[in-house]
Amino acid sequence: MMSSRTFRRTALAVFALATSSFTVLAAPLKVAYSDWPGWTAFAIAGEKGWFKEAGVDVELLWFEYGPSMEAFGAGQVDAVMVTNGDALVTGAGGARNVMILVTDYSNGNDMVVALPGINSLKDLKGKKIGVEIGFVDHLLLLNGLKKAGMSESDVELVPTPTNQAPQVLASRQVDAVAAWQPNSGAALKAVPGSKAVYTSADEPGLIYDTVAVSPQSLAQRRADWVKFVKVWDRIVAYLADPKTRDDGIKIMAARAGVDPKEYADFMAGTKLLTLAEGAKVLAAQTDGFDSVLGSSKIADEFNVANGVYAEPQNVKSYIDASLMAEALKK
Amino acid sequence: MPRRPWFAVLQPLSSRRRTLLGVSSFLIPLVVWSAVSYLPFLWKPLVRVSDPGDVSWFQAGMLVDRHAFAQEVERVEAEEGRVPAGRRANPIYLPAPHEVARALYTAFTTKPVLRGDKWLHESLATSIKTIFYGFTISSLLGVPLGILCGAYAAAARLTEPVVDFIRYMPAPAFGALMVAILGIHLEPKVAIIVIGTFFQQVLVVANTVRRVEPSLLEAAQTLGAKRRHLLLRVIVPASLPDLYNDLRILLGWAWTYLIVAEVVGVSSGITFFINQQAKYRNFDNVYAAIVIIGVIGLATDQVLGFFGQRIFAWRSLRPSRFRTLVNRFFSDRYLVLFPDKPETATTRP
Repeated sequence: MMSSRTFRRTALAVFALATSSFTVLAAPLKVAYSDWPGWTAFAIAGEKGWFKEAGVDVELLWFEYGPSMEAFGAGQVDAVMVTNGDALVTGAGGARNVMILVTDYSNGNDMVVALPGINSLKDLKGKKIGVEIGFVDHLLLLNGLKKAGMSESDVELVPTPTNQAPQVLASRQVDAVAAWQPNSGAALKAVPGSKAVYTSADEPGLIYDTVAVSPQSLAQRRADWVKFVKVWDRIVAYLADPKTRDDGIKIMAARAGVDPKEYADFMAGTKLLTLAEGAKVLAAQTDGFDSVLGSSKIADEFNVANGVYAEPQNVKSYIDASLMAEALKK
Repeated sequence: MPRRPWFAVLQPLSSRRRTLLGVSSFLIPLVVWSAVSYLPFLWKPLVRVSDPGDVSWFQAGMLVDRHAFAQEVERVEAEEGRVPAGRRANPIYLPAPHEVARALYTAFTTKPVLRGDKWLHESLATSIKTIFYGFTISSLLGVPLGILCGAYAAAARLTEPVVDFIRYMPAPAFGALMVAILGIHLEPKVAIIVIGTFFQQVLVVANTVRRVEPSLLEAAQTLGAKRRHLLLRVIVPASLPDLYNDLRILLGWAWTYLIVAEVVGVSSGITFFINQQAKYRNFDNVYAAIVIIGVIGLATDQVLGFFGQRIFAWRSLRPSRFRTLVNRFFSDRYLVLFPDKPETATTRP
């Protein structure tokens, strides 16, 4: 029989072991992501086990874009991948967040697609345009109209859910739709002869895609988030290398549940940013589209002007460039 | 002997005719679909470009409006360029039967590329699990409550007004709320199905219970049945066959809510497949998935119908060995189920 002393010692050892393993095995970082090439790319790191190699436990959770923001808003995940504009919308809705990583900017995947015969935004004067009001492509459209010397009052906006844009354009009840891939490409296919009259490639930096983290998780697990950020560079490198690019795209396509050839088409419209490039745009303090800060300020004005939320946001508090900088040094 | 007419009011059909008509009800839509798909002169409003010729905006494989195609051909001919070629085709949202059949086959046989990802049949299993939990929870709460409401006016008055009110709130509206309360995995999905089913269930069950023959109740009361006896020995057994059928119909409701439930939280199950394929306009896959759901629904309902006919055999005319089995099983356990033992002879002092 075990003496009471040995028993106590064993119990203590077991207890110590249990608590120590508890601290070592912290809960995984829960990250919600959805079908946008700049985010789907994280599936590569998940598939290859790169997070584990980097010493951080990450649980990637696959969502539709809307529900991913809902889950973050409900505090069910630690981070969510959103555009810089939607990070503000999410924050204004009560789910404060901090953008710690820029994955890419939209470089053509967001488009205004017009019916055949319409060759520029100017031709859309007095016509109907289907767009999801208050979302990024509404901003894209307004930006384009402004550049063409027009304003929102020169066209008639028809509220259209992004994923229905192809059908709406095909019905010819509108003259153009504004949507992002894969919906914009589907609209082009659905109406032969239709044309992208304005795209995010015309205004690089209008839409940045980011990883937004809850302030609490960032405060408690900062070191882990730096490791997470660092893995991004490995993903970009994997997709940049001609030898491994196809394998990377294959994994992304599998995550999205479609044919790799179909998915490869979207890569050109997404300008992936290396850690060095991303760190620069995240840290820069400009008022234009060449920094996340400038782009977000413009998005903030747009959001308030369109009643997406009432109070202007403190945009600076949404950006923390220090993690990217630290990951670069390591 | 004169032939029996096909359309005789309220007359049952012979079993051969029943089979024939049942098969036809599936064949007719299939034949129409095939005709529209394969007969070149029926409909076909588009042209699938096989060779773009000298038309700048044509691409091989592109679907073009028939008139636009004709115009371009005329224009190129006038300019003496290379004439584009193509075949008449249907819109992308109407794939041919064989394409859907092929999609059905490939969907099941395609190996998941990613580690930990699911085969289609595994996704389906997830969906079925979601439905099962949702419907079971809903029924465990809804059926007893419905029976109480049906039997007791007081219970009905206390429950039905608010149930009636909530019933009009669309279950999808609770999505974000359920995620906030229950997390992102299976639980909020199950909750959406429960919300979508439960409130209807209470009202449907209560209504069925109210339709119990009053004469049965009177007879039971004459024989001295008290309140609890009336409920457990008369009302419940009398309405069971109808309740069973109610549940079969309500199970269909549960399936309807699946598509909403599965986009709540983490994408999962058959809905993920449908949404993703629709986004990329792979409509053959979308049809395949819809067919799968239809087949599962129909099969479940047929199985339930089969058992129902045997469990409640007094409603059908066929004798059944299964029913005998069930009866024998329960006849021994009758006292266990209803332990107030009226059968036990009491000795008089």
